Amino acid sequence: MVLADLGRKITSALKSLSNATIIDEDVLNSMLNEICRALLEADVNIKLVKKLKENVKSVIDFEEMAAGLNKRKMIQTAVFKELVKLIDPGVKAWTPVKGQPNVVMFVGLQGSGKTTTCTKLAYYYQKKGWKACLICADTFRAGAFDQLKQNAAKARIPFFGSYTEDNPVILAMDGVDKFKSEGFEIIIVDTSGRHKQEDSLFEEMLQVSNAINPDNIVFVMDASIGQACENQARAFKDKVDVASVIITKLDGHSKGGGALSAVAATKSPVIFIGTGEHTDDFEQFKTKPFISKLLGMGDIEGLIDK
Amino acid sequence: LFSMFSGLVGSKKLTKEDMGPVMEKMRDHLIAKNVAQEIAEKLCDSVAKKLEGKVLGTFDRVATVVRAGMEESLVQILTPRRRVDILRDALEAKSHGRPYSITFCGVNGVGKSTNLAKICFWLVENNLRVLIAACDTFRAGAVEQLRTHHRRLNALHPTSKGSSQVVFLYEKGYGKDSAGIAMEAIKYGNQLVTLIVFTARDYNYDVVLIDTAGRMQDNEPLMKALTKLIKVNQPDLVLFVGEALVGNEAVDQLTKFNRALADFSDAQQPRLIDGIVLTKFDTIDDKVGAAISMTYTTGQPIVFVGTGQTYSDLRNLNAKAVINTLLKA
Ligand SMILES: Nc1nc2c(ncn2[C@@H]2O[C@H](COP(=O)(O)OP(=O)(O)OP(=O)(O)O)[C@@H](O)[C@H]2O)c(=O)[nH]1
Ligand SMILES: Nc1nc2c(ncn2[C@@H]2O[C@H](COP(=O)(O)OP(=O)(O)OP(=O)(O)O)[C@@H](O)[C@H]2O)c(=O)[nH]1
Ligand SMILES: [Mg+2]
Ligand SMILES: [Mg+2]
Repeated sequence: MVLADLGRKITSALKSLSNATIIDEDVLNSMLNEICRALLEADVNIKLVKKLKENVKSVIDFEEMAAGLNKRKMIQTAVFKELVKLIDPGVKAWTPVKGQPNVVMFVGLQGSGKTTTCTKLAYYYQKKGWKACLICADTFRAGAFDQLKQNAAKARIPFFGSYTEDNPVILAMDGVDKFKSEGFEIIIVDTSGRHKQEDSLFEEMLQVSNAINPDNIVFVMDASIGQACENQARAFKDKVDVASVIITKLDGHSKGGGALSAVAATKSPVIFIGTGEHTDDFEQFKTKPFISKLLGMGDIEGLIDK
Repeated sequence: LFSMFSGLVGSKKLTKEDMGPVMEKMRDHLIAKNVAQEIAEKLCDSVAKKLEGKVLGTFDRVATVVRAGMEESLVQILTPRRRVDILRDALEAKSHGRPYSITFCGVNGVGKSTNLAKICFWLVENNLRVLIAACDTFRAGAVEQLRTHHRRLNALHPTSKGSSQVVFLYEKGYGKDSAGIAMEAIKYGNQLVTLIVFTARDYNYDVVLIDTAGRMQDNEPLMKALTKLIKVNQPDLVLFVGEALVGNEAVDQLTKFNRALADFSDAQQPRLIDGIVLTKFDTIDDKVGAAISMTYTTGQPIVFVGTGQTYSDLRNLNAKAVINTLLKA
């Protein structure tokens, strides 16, 4: 399972608490170091990791606390709460409404997997009986329209794009208008890859967004990303109204912790994950069940209740 | 006599304990700059070992000494033991009447095809004629992507009437065995080279650039296919393309690409990664650590740095600048 390795390490660090006869500052520190190490190995942003450590420490005051189980429980609860904060932005995930057009705009860094994932999402809803379609508003990348076209054709999803129009705003608008008038329910707009260091690219993204007024903006993130994720994710969120995150390429070896930083930075939940290059290598992601599975919540609750 | 001397200037031998807190800070600093955690730790350990017992002068601060020690190690890591000089080697191959070939490989979406096109542009600017082999026969749009670059590159470098274009695209569409395509492409080059000797100089393609499909390092069938492609074609250079955005995965990607190339080839001396193309360097601000992770892991040089999405966005690695950025607060 995704992030399973990370979960295992954290659970085993937490268990070290129950094995210790007395819980003092040293035990706490060594446990926290172990957890932080696991998080850093998984690419979680170092600022978030440091904050997690501080927050847990601030809850525990060894001088004032009564002896015994109380400490254990408090520490474990504090760690658990902090970990949940990393993954759960505390907002409800976007869901489309049946019987009306739902416009979804994809944004993200170059090569993160937007075009591939667009088709996956359209296919996911199409299989469930929704009327789904795809619009290519990437006029920059060589072969972008062919890529979307071939993917869409293979999955039998109606698509819109152009080899000659080079204005993504016009393409996006025309496509959305066309599909809205044809009664499509899931209208997905693919855009070019971009990064915060290029203002003109960010400006273009804003213009597309303003023109089509999407119901959901999805930020697509590659699971292998490291410490640069947070700044980029924050910049995307500052420019347009990102509401969801999709993490791609989790079929590889990556633990995906860097991409998780995008959750905190955009205050948006992960809604799907990509697990391969094929159209059905795609899974819905539900934050709460994920967390309990990840941390073997049963275990933890057992520990805490003791 | 010496000890008396050093005593006079009030010096002191550096211990592990002295360095402890400074090293911890240094490690976190490197991680924040996107050096893989395992490598940040190894680096700090080795610098600590190197500095242990060093005699400090009165005015030396531990932090300054550690920084200098780290800088020295980083210079070593980023200074290639072996220089890759593509232009020289391509001309050398040309003088022997054979094309020089480069294979580009790496995980999905890192910038293989785009940087191949940039390198093609650079080669053509240096008066070399290039054949591009479209060996990504899997990903949707991969062939059209190269067709577009092929068209643009030739438009940028028009040839005189009657002579053949400077860039040639060898493609067979989708779903084909990519190892076979690459071999044909190199042969194609060869054939033209042989022709050249007797007929027109124009037909000579000097360099073959082989684009491959992106693949995850754990995907065994795909790693086997890549090994086959490299084994069959014996390119002069195997370039691993990795993006500067990648975090801890950098280590695993490179280790496993190399391991697969070794394990799946039954050759005595398997071909491994010869060099690195570090892409998307324009997207990471000061988080330049992937450069260290990648070179530390392979011991191979960063041959090119990709700094944008246009043909001219290709640089050599400026090791000094990378190290300064890395150590800057
Ligand atoms: N293994 C794997 N590969 C993926 C996944 N999602 C996308 N890819 C691959 O990643 C590469 C880049 O995907 P694209 O969809 O072209 O990325 P993009 O964000 O549209 O790229 P730009 O438009 O250039 O910014 C392609 O090789 C895809 O096949 C995934 O979940 N797993
Ligand atoms: N900002 C920036 N973008 C880059 C750079 N190099 C490549 N890209 C972009 O990254 C995206 C993916 O590039 P490709 O060349 O298609 O990547 P690839 O490795 O061939 O992808 P697959 O073949 O699908 O595995 C494109 O949008 C490129 O324009 C770079 O140096 N800087
Ligand atoms: Mg795309
Ligand atoms: Mg490619």
